[in-house]
Amino acid sequence: MNEDELLSRHEPVEEDIRMQERVWRFERVGWYVLVVIILLALAGAFGNGPLSDAQVTSTDGRIQVEYQRLSRSGTTDDLRITVHGIAGKPVKVMLGGSLLREASIETMQPEPQSSISHGEALLLQLGTSRDGIATLYLTLRSESVGTLEGIVRTSPTSAVSFSTFLYP
Amino acid sequence: MDSILRAAGMYVALMLLFRVAGRRSLADLTTFDFVLLLIIGEATQQALLGDDFSFINAMLVIATLIVLDVGLSLAKLNSKPLARLLDGHATLVVEQGRFLHQRMRRARLTEDDILESARDSQGIEHVEQIKFAIVERNGKISVIPKE
Repeated sequence: MNEDELLSRHEPVEEDIRMQERVWRFERVGWYVLVVIILLALAGAFGNGPLSDAQVTSTDGRIQVEYQRLSRSGTTDDLRITVHGIAGKPVKVMLGGSLLREASIETMQPEPQSSISHGEALLLQLGTSRDGIATLYLTLRSESVGTLEGIVRTSPTSAVSFSTFLYP
Repeated sequence: MDSILRAAGMYVALMLLFRVAGRRSLADLTTFDFVLLLIIGEATQQALLGDDFSFINAMLVIATLIVLDVGLSLAKLNSKPLARLLDGHATLVVEQGRFLHQRMRRARLTEDDILESARDSQGIEHVEQIKFAIVERNGKISVIPKE
């Protein structure tokens, strides 16, 4: 800014141009911050994007869970659980952890053959397809904020745990 | 409880966002600005109320917003630095018929914006006829003509 414009005027209004410069700088920096936030949101830093989509497989490869690493409180999230069992025989899956306790299950497709509570967890019996695979589609909604953990288990040896962070 | 936290959080967040947007942004409400404002209101409303549509919740949210707003204006009365920080200063952009271009650039104002205000409020045709043009704290441009 040239020297003259930098000087605070006293007539007709009392100015504080240094302060005003700070305000202008704040606006400019704030704009860049907003751009960064929007780019992050596009990338999925607040859910539903490449940064947030995640997949976890149990060590023996029998369970595969697709979930959202980051999400927001009050929104619905898809959770897909694939279990490899024996063809034609039903497979038992246990859903547990704070995620499945805190969140309400909005939909569950396909309907499990049986569904019973098992302590704080949920024990489901799923029918398998001809190749021995059972897939369960869940939509979850949680009102809480913070990190929630989910556990999916079919047998003592094959289990996966995953966690979701929920923004307010 | 969370409706009060929500309202307070929203108040602070909106204040910051509108500070970033600058005082000019929604000062002269064009049709488009008006629509934009409605959309902002619509987006805010959901987060403010959540899925609780009770009478009490609405009253709590409104009460929180009013308490914060009145509280802030009381604080501004008592503290001049705070008032200056939150409301900013009036800034000169035309002085004795001369544009202060660098200031205008930072305030995102063009010569046309100022001349438009001058025509509108004072019936002025040329910048030489302007003694002072001032961006007020609310973003409006005041024009004082030369005698």
